[in-house]
Amino acid sequence: MKRSVLIVLSIILMFSGCAKKDHGNQLDEVKKRGVLRVGMSTFVPWAMNDKEGNLIGFEIDVATELAKDMGVKIEFVPTKWSGIIPSLLTGKFDVIIGGMGITEERAKKVDFSDPYDFSGMSIVASRKKAPDFKDLASFNKSEILIAARLGTTAAEAAKKNFPNAQLKLFDDEAQAIQELLTDRVHAVVASSPLPEYQAIKYSKRFYLPVEDTFENEPIGFAMKKGEDSLKSYFNSWIKKKTGDGFLKERKNYWFKTRDWEKRVE
Amino acid sequence: MRERIRFTFLDLILLIILFSGAGYILFRMKAELHYEWDWSAVASYIVRYDAAAESYVPGLLLAGLAVTFKLSVWSTVCASMIGLFMGLMKISKNVILKLTSSIYVGIVRNIPSIVFIFIFYFFISGQIADAFEFDHRADSVSWYGDLFSFLFASPPMFAVFISAVLTLALYEGAYMTEIVRAGIESVEKGQGEAADALGFSRYQKMRHIVLPQAFKRILPPMAGQVISVIKDSAIVSVISVQDLTFRGTELMASTYKTYEIWITITLMYFILTYGCSLAVGSVEKRMVRKGYV
Repeated sequence: MKRSVLIVLSIILMFSGCAKKDHGNQLDEVKKRGVLRVGMSTFVPWAMNDKEGNLIGFEIDVATELAKDMGVKIEFVPTKWSGIIPSLLTGKFDVIIGGMGITEERAKKVDFSDPYDFSGMSIVASRKKAPDFKDLASFNKSEILIAARLGTTAAEAAKKNFPNAQLKLFDDEAQAIQELLTDRVHAVVASSPLPEYQAIKYSKRFYLPVEDTFENEPIGFAMKKGEDSLKSYFNSWIKKKTGDGFLKERKNYWFKTRDWEKRVE
Repeated sequence: MRERIRFTFLDLILLIILFSGAGYILFRMKAELHYEWDWSAVASYIVRYDAAAESYVPGLLLAGLAVTFKLSVWSTVCASMIGLFMGLMKISKNVILKLTSSIYVGIVRNIPSIVFIFIFYFFISGQIADAFEFDHRADSVSWYGDLFSFLFASPPMFAVFISAVLTLALYEGAYMTEIVRAGIESVEKGQGEAADALGFSRYQKMRHIVLPQAFKRILPPMAGQVISVIKDSAIVSVISVQDLTFRGTELMASTYKTYEIWITITLMYFILTYGCSLAVGSVEKRMVRKGYV
């Protein structure tokens, strides 16, 4: 009896001994480790797999350049979008570089760098189910179903702009688009340029009710709270890379041209 | 003596109904989905030609299948050990041991697997992996690192892989505990009493009389549970282990070839699990033939 109590106690002690060390300065830790671990999730064209299975995309270029300038190796940790913030907080990676929109809600849990990119939302609708809708207000009706990706700012934008419509949320955009293809929803809201691409790809079935994007939102790197030296390093890096045109040039390649499409399909 | 199977008129009608049902579903799929089927790239997700290395290399899905396989093997090994110990604890006379095992089984079996995996992954397993400092340690030593990558996962993915194995093992272990307990308890009381009468110690009784008999009864349900481990391993894709399901969903997000990829993944899982079923079947037959059962 006494022995079993001892065993149980020692097991508890063992676990508490394993509790996480206080990491302190993450910038130093990254440099010491020689590897920057970046959390990301697949979003076309921010980050995706090419034919060889390598990661390519706007965010991949940004993160790779960042690691190069820091003088460390890069390591991508592909993560489900819905679990990306808890994964950051529990230290599975150092920073999220994944087209994450800066919002107040998220800023309560993580720190954001200055914005390095801006992204708008756009909406693609089904020709059959929602014919000839000319403005956003036409979608704000209780019988309208709108699909978006779970946990994204697109889902929030849809909630905000179409409070009367019903939302259907999916784990990734491919499922939302499939829902639109089967006419189970009227429209899909996502970060531009994804809806535009889909409208071109399925031009017979989809159309863009409004040409412009809405909800222009700032995009930043997300890191754990209180990592000030890491944050100021990122901010000065972003300032430098905005100045020398790197960010603009990469953005142009991934968002304005479609040269990369051959690399994916 | 095997009975001959006769094909009757009723069988014919049943077959016609089944086939027309399947045909109708296929037809509806085609009419409803408005989906542009494109199988051209799918082969390259399994095996592709690498121009730089001038050889064939596994594609994303095959690499995912390898991870699923390794995950299943290690989880099965760990889960069987957990199941054996916890099962023995559950029939133990010691109240604390018995209680520990009951609480473990009670908790694991009564929360949804996906919730269990999230909680365990974020709050517990990460700390275990951290404590051992698995990350990046294998980087420095080459042959040792290569062996590790082959047996488990490459150093960057090692911590998450170990977390997944532990989580899955703890989850499946609860079911194996019950299988072990039921197996041991199914051994007739008279066997134990006879051992007692012959003056066997409790350990000797277990080792020589009860466990060998229980083992034969445990084996078939245990084999079924192993197939469950393979299927359940898909769930760890939510904690971003790069297994077959995770690779597949990532590919779908990149290429939008939703159905082609899901169908391919289904077939790949089926090959793995059906292979296991066949292996288990032949082992059982052999045991019957050799008179073990």
